[in-house]
Amino acid sequence: MDEAIKNLTMRKSFGKSMLYTLPMFLLTFILMTGGRPDFSDRSGTIALLTTFLGLNILYFLMHYTGKTDKLRAILFIVFALTLSFTLIKNTIDIRQTMTYSQGDILECNMPFCHLVIPMLILPAAFTQSIIYPGSILGGFASISAMVVLWLAASVILGRGFCSWGCFYGGWDDGFSRFRKKPAIRKISDSWKWMPFAVLLMVALTSALALTPTYCDWMCPFKAVTEFEEVTGIESAAKAGIFISLFGGFVVVLPVLTKKRTQCSYLCPLGAINTLSNKVSPFIVKIDKQICNDCYKCVQACPMFALTNDDVKKGSVSIFCTKCGKCIDACPKQAIHYGIVGVPANRMVKFSRNIFLFVSFLFIAIFASGSIITVVKSFVNLFI
Amino acid sequence: MTAGLIWALCCLIVMIMLYFALGGLSEGFAKLPFMKLNPNTNGGELAQQVVMDNCTLMIRKPVFDGLLRERNKGFVQIEWKGDLPGKINDTIDYNMDSSPDFVIGIIVPENQVNLVALNPKVRDVGISTSTSYGWAARINIDK
Ligand code: SF4
Ligand code: SF4
Repeated sequence: MDEAIKNLTMRKSFGKSMLYTLPMFLLTFILMTGGRPDFSDRSGTIALLTTFLGLNILYFLMHYTGKTDKLRAILFIVFALTLSFTLIKNTIDIRQTMTYSQGDILECNMPFCHLVIPMLILPAAFTQSIIYPGSILGGFASISAMVVLWLAASVILGRGFCSWGCFYGGWDDGFSRFRKKPAIRKISDSWKWMPFAVLLMVALTSALALTPTYCDWMCPFKAVTEFEEVTGIESAAKAGIFISLFGGFVVVLPVLTKKRTQCSYLCPLGAINTLSNKVSPFIVKIDKQICNDCYKCVQACPMFALTNDDVKKGSVSIFCTKCGKCIDACPKQAIHYGIVGVPANRMVKFSRNIFLFVSFLFIAIFASGSIITVVKSFVNLFI
Repeated sequence: MTAGLIWALCCLIVMIMLYFALGGLSEGFAKLPFMKLNPNTNGGELAQQVVMDNCTLMIRKPVFDGLLRERNKGFVQIEWKGDLPGKINDTIDYNMDSSPDFVIGIIVPENQVNLVALNPKVRDVGISTSTSYGWAARINIDK
């Protein structure tokens, strides 16, 4: 290992890693227990402690091993799975079915998810109102709380939200890891602009119809959350569309291409998050002094965010979700987390430490609720 | 370089505070002028309420709201709250001009709806569905 690489390795000693994990340990404990730990319920306590320890072990390992992506992906995928389980469980508890009826829409008690946000912007600007049939404040997944969380995460993490915050992204991230090598390699680079076309289409149609058209007609994640009761041709067509989109963009294409095709090609919020990369202080940087143009990072990137040209220019595109896969793949440690304005190869460890803390804290607390619910349900099966 | 570092440290502080302040931030955000449901979504404001034997009939204001201006086609939402009889048969005057606009009949267990328009502006039944509180229907109307 040459000296430059040795100096840049992100691995830390056991003791140092423990020290770096301590603030996360304390904050997650306070936030997960609300500052007032209550251990009276046995299954709840087991679920809480398991989740708390699991999260902190992952964070510790990020420091100890110096690797990011695989450890992040474990949490990201678990988040996606447990959130779907929690949503479905919640829907079944309330409605005794995974489907929702027109009555549920009229009563405005649909749980809100961040993918709706692009459809709210124009109607909110022109009609001063919200077109999603959910609860403005209070209840399960209120519009207000979700928008605040997304806004904060997007400003701070930029498109890092798509690898450290979104509770859907774990689905195609997970399926993109199924094969060792991609079966389809040649994909035109221009497809990555497609989410902007989807964004334009759903923003305009939702504004004209004053109803969230992406949710009604296109969202692939209906397949793993809740969907409209099939009562006629229109609802059957909708079901056909979302099942096909889930099968195609979330399962089959990610398996064949090793890319997150739903997030790269379909998601309208992904397009907005791409723009938020311009605001976030955290970016991925390439040090051209060390880079030997092997393009291992380009092959590793699951988001079409890196091309050979980007590497030659020494900059990562705005499509980057800060997942860390390219960083872990680089044999020269030439690509790393950085801070806007700080030159590549300067304050590398500091930048990684601060980015990891901020992004991990966000996903840890956001995900903990659904993970605890699922662990508790399993524990209840045995005690 | 310094600006980037300061911005990064601010983000660190905001992220630490975020979950502690989430309740207050959400409440504050919910008070913004656009944080209310569109009439197309929630059915519009309540206009009339008729208390009957076992349930209450609620008639909402007709909704014609569009993005930039009112549309020519809209709907009126009516709701029955409480214990529903097996058969509903109500005459509705949604524009409150003292002349009935339509008669709506619903056979609740079979989800069968029958609409008799008495006003030429009344078109057809858009939605008719059971709800947690009873029943709701949206009748499509012209302006
Ligand atoms: S692209 Fe969309 S679905 Fe994918 S992670 Fe981002 S917000 Fe979530
Ligand atoms: S450029 Fe790197 S960090 Fe960004 S999305 Fe691609 S692999 Fe992830």
